[in-house]
Parts: sequence; structure tokens; C-alpha cells
Amino acid sequence: MNATAPGLEAASLEQRMLPLLAELSQQLALSLDLEQTLLQAVTRIAAFMEAEAAAVFLLEDDWLVCRASAGPVDVRGLKLPRGRGIVGRAVVQNACQMVRDAHADPDFAGNVDDRTGFVTRSVLCAPLSTAEGPIGALQVLNKQGGGLFDERDRDALRLLAAPTALALSGARMAEKLLEQTRIQRELTMARRLQRSLLPKRRRGGYPVLALNLPAREISGDFYDFFDLPDGRIAFALGDVAGKGLDAAFLMVRCASLLRWAGKEGLAPSDWLARVNDELGEAIAAGMFVCAVAGYYDPRSGEAVWANAGFPPVQRVDREGEVALFPAEGPPLGILPGLVFPEQRTGLAGASLYLYSDGVTDVRDDAGGTLGVEGVTEIVRGMSLLAPEPRLRALVRELRQLTVTDDTTLMLIEGPSGDVRRLLELSFPARPEELAGVRHRLSEALGRIGVDEALSRELVLAVDEAATNVIRHAYGGPCGASIELRLSLEDGELRFGLRDWAPCADPAKVQPRDLSDCRPGGLGVALIDAVMDAWQLAPARDGRGNLLTMRKRLGPPGEEP
Amino acid sequence: MKQCSTETRGAWTAVVLGGEVDLSWSQQVRRAVLDALSASDSVAVDLSAVGYIDSSGIAALVEGFQTARGRGKSFVLLSPSDAVQAVLRLARLDKVFRIVDALEGAGA
Repeated sequence: MNATAPGLEAASLEQRMLPLLAELSQQLALSLDLEQTLLQAVTRIAAFMEAEAAAVFLLEDDWLVCRASAGPVDVRGLKLPRGRGIVGRAVVQNACQMVRDAHADPDFAGNVDDRTGFVTRSVLCAPLSTAEGPIGALQVLNKQGGGLFDERDRDALRLLAAPTALALSGARMAEKLLEQTRIQRELTMARRLQRSLLPKRRRGGYPVLALNLPAREISGDFYDFFDLPDGRIAFALGDVAGKGLDAAFLMVRCASLLRWAGKEGLAPSDWLARVNDELGEAIAAGMFVCAVAGYYDPRSGEAVWANAGFPPVQRVDREGEVALFPAEGPPLGILPGLVFPEQRTGLAGASLYLYSDGVTDVRDDAGGTLGVEGVTEIVRGMSLLAPEPRLRALVRELRQLTVTDDTTLMLIEGPSGDVRRLLELSFPARPEELAGVRHRLSEALGRIGVDEALSRELVLAVDEAATNVIRHAYGGPCGASIELRLSLEDGELRFGLRDWAPCADPAKVQPRDLSDCRPGGLGVALIDAVMDAWQLAPARDGRGNLLTMRKRLGPPGEEP
Repeated sequence: MKQCSTETRGAWTAVVLGGEVDLSWSQQVRRAVLDALSASDSVAVDLSAVGYIDSSGIAALVEGFQTARGRGKSFVLLSPSDAVQAVLRLARLDKVFRIVDALEGAGA
């Protein structure tokens, strides 16, 4: 092989090429304005290759888009379906294409020429290869002077494609990174803003607890609670349809509307109706908000609310008994003038759970959703825990499963914490029943570990109370009933003795002074000495009397 | 189980009680104590076998104590069980009654 002549020529090509390569590499690598740099590069490549035109096509989704061009026609923005044309072939095969007569090539996209008026004769096209595969192609058209591109031109173009590809993929990565950082920063700010709208956690046995776990940086869920001047606590939860910024903005708007309307202490149905009407005026089509809003009165232990398309509100008592209150109103923001019926429940010895569908939509290992039943099951198993640990345990359970949506939970704790019913019995008002009652009571106290001396005193006090009912309330033995209930509430024993006699005058039932030694009135004095507190009042349903007696249990081993 | 009997122990007339003294039969106890006080100058109520006593039972004892004092007679509680002592303490009556462990040596 005679290598002299081509060798010399090759050397001269290389000599011309090396400085260009170095310059292009540097320019492309350092460029702050890639588009401009690319344009300059393509122009220089066209000149270097002695081509009439040059262009860079980049893969964007399923299209090859011209991002830089040099020559008589500016074809920037020209789009070819991925795989179409000679450019497409270079990308798909990831190999250089050298076509001497474009119009004879089956892949040639002739319609481009028709549109631009440029006449393509020969094509040389090199893929822009990266480690992740080709990202586009570098193309030169028509050797100046009517000649044809040859193998050396092909090798030269391939060499020139390398720094171009490198610069482009580097730039794309940098751009992506920059974009991500910017979005991240904005999301963090949005999240911070959202968090600042949520009320602070209240300590010291505050009956309302809540938390929000966003599935993304920002959340479409919110909760709120605040004190009203009359002692009630207003609460609200919402879940905006959709995720992302739209939902987040609507969430902020809806949360402030709910707070604004809630401060006035409107009835829950009016409260939601007002927010619904306000929201409807400026909500994007197809967006809506599911929400619950209401009040909890810590004195009466009653909660009242209205539910606009939010998941069922759950009441769970200490025995694990569950009651569901499904939504009776439609979501907010769909139509003005809608009605949101009021719902209520007493929370003595119970808790109210409100949660967004992020909780019920949590996925288990099998891919099924937890559902209302699943949540109920988890909550039931925790009914003996104090409210804070209960909420923490619930979150822990949920986190073991896959949380796919924003998750918001609120827990409203009823007045008496831990209630254990220890005894409930009914007996006729006859003295001969008393021995059996004492025995049952003593057993019940023994079961929870009340020591013998205290148990004896408590049994005595209850016996005294029952004796008084038989002698004074009923005026002597009879077949009427006496009911005894014993429960342990937050470490305190509560005895309730109920009769159906005419209402007693509590003022007449007073302990006598123990130093006054006489036979009568001793029973009440004994009750007074044994119990921490007692109270006689007409029964709530208006018939008979209810004597309530309380005794706090000290820690084990400690003399009360 | 109820037990209420009266027997003579030396100079003393003893009312011996047993079981749980409550409203169901405290009237019977009261009668026995008052009867004993009518018949004797020195009455002891033996409470060693009493497992429970309520205020109606205590009231019978208080009435006995007051009657004896009014008539210048002797009235003692003999060996009250722990259960009875607890109630006496609770009613602040443990210092009011004369309580003895044995009748021997207890001045009638």
C-alpha cells in the first residue's frame, strides 16, 4: 500500500484538525450559552469539512430536533420522528452514514428539501455518542465544489462529533441538576410555608392531636385546630384533590377560608356552606376539596361536625367498640349552595379519629389498600394506649406499609382517659342481698390487685351506701332495684349506685361528726372517711338517684 | 353464716357473734345486746369470729355502750377481729369502746 501521499495529506488534515478539536472541546466544555456555542461550532465544522451546510440534531423524547445549523437555510427547530431520515438512521444504528446521492437513499426525508428549497446531494452524518447511547447526530451536507465526502471526511466528522456529544451530554446533565436544585429549593420553601400554617402541637393533655405526612415535598392535605373564646375547640381537616403545586395553593386558600369562617363559631353546617360558596367562586374546574370541620367541647365531651366528602369519622371507645360516621355532604368547591348536614357524638371514654384517604389508601405487602376496616383494626388494637403514644404507634404502623398519598391524621380524645368497667350488677333492695354484693365487689377489686385492707374499706362504704338506699331512699326492704357499677378511670375507682326511689334531698344526706357518738348517720360518715369524694344527685333520666363515689388508687405497694 | 348466742362466762354475760353482721340481721344483734344488758350488769360482746360488720352492726354496739353507761353497767368488746377493728378505727370508735383481749382480769 502506498502510504506516502495519503499519509502526507492525512498529516495535513490532522494538523488542521487538532487545533480545531482542541478549540471546540474547550469552547463547548466551558460554554455558558450552549446554543450560541453550538451554532459557532457547527459553522466552523461546516467550513472545516468544506460542506455547504451542517447541523446538530438532538433526540428529544421521540423526535430528532435540529438545535444548531449552518448554511444557506436555518433549519433550527426542524423536527423528524426518531428513526426517520438519514440522521435517524445514524442515531438508531449508532454509526456514521455516508450517502453520496441522497435522493437515491430510501430513508432520505426529501420533504425537507421541498420546504426549504435546499437541494441535498450528499450527506455525511455521525452519531453523537455517549456512554448512555447516542443523543443525536452531527450532519454535514454537500461537499463544496460538487465533490463527494470520502472516508477521511467521515473519520474527521466522527472525531468532531466526540467533543460535541460530550459537551451536550454534560450540559444536559448540568441543566437537569440545576433544574432539580431549583425545584428542590422552591419546594422546600413551599413546604415550610405550608408547615407554618399548621397549628403547633399543644402539650399538657390538650385533647386534639394531629399530624401530616406529605407523600411529596408539598402536601394537598391540611389540618387546623384552635380555641374559641367560649371554651370549645374548633377543628378542621382537608384534602385537596390532586398533588403538587396546584393542590398546595388550593390547600393554603382553603385552610385560610376554613380558619376565617371557623373563628366566628358558626354551626358546622353553616361553616362548611360558607367556605363552599367562597371557594366555588375562584376554583379551577375539576378541582375540589374534601373536608371535615367542627367543634369539640371539652366540658361536655361532645364533638359536632359536618363532613364534606371526607372519609368516615371514626369513634372508638376503650373497649374497642367502633362507630363510623360517613360523610353526609359532597366535597367543597363543586357547586355553591350545597348543604352539609351536622353530625355529633359524645366522647366520654372514647376517641374520635379523622384521617385523609392517604391513610386508607396505604398499601399492604400484597398491594391491597388498608381501607377503613384496616385502619379500624389497627386503631382498635391500640385503645389502651395514651393519646400521644397511640398516634405515634399508628404512624409507625402506617410507615411499615407503603404510604402513596398525603397522610393526615387527627385524634380527639374524650374526657375520661382509661376506663375499665370492673363490675355491673343489679339487685333487689333487700338486706339479704348485701352479702352477695359485698362478695362480688371484693372479687372485682381483688382482680385488679387492690390490697385487702383498702378493699375491705371500699366494700364497707358501698355496703353502707346500699344500706342507706334500702332504709332511707326506698323506706325499707322492697323488690325495687339497686344498680351498682364500678369502673377504673385513669387510676381512679368510680362507684355508681343507682336507685329508682323518689329523688332524695342531697342536703339531708350529710355525714355526722364522728366525735358525736350515736348510732344513726354513721353510714355516710364511713363513706366519707373511705372515699376521696362522693356525690348524690338525681339520676340523669330524671328518675331516682345516683350516688357517685371516687377513690384514687396509689401506685402499687403504697398505702393510699 | 350468722351466729348470735348469749352465754355466761364467770361474772360476764357474753354475746357471741360470728359471720358477717349487716343490715340483714343487725336488729337481731341489737336485741341480743340490749337483752343481755337487761339481764346482767356486765356484758361482753365477743367479736373474734366476725368477718364483717357494717354501720348498722356498729350502731347496735354503740347503743349497747350508751345504755350500759346510762345504767352504770360494764360493757366491753372482746377480741374484735381485724375486720372489726378496721371499721372501729375508721369510725373513730376504737378509743370510745372498752376493748379487751380476755375477760379474765377485766374488771366487771
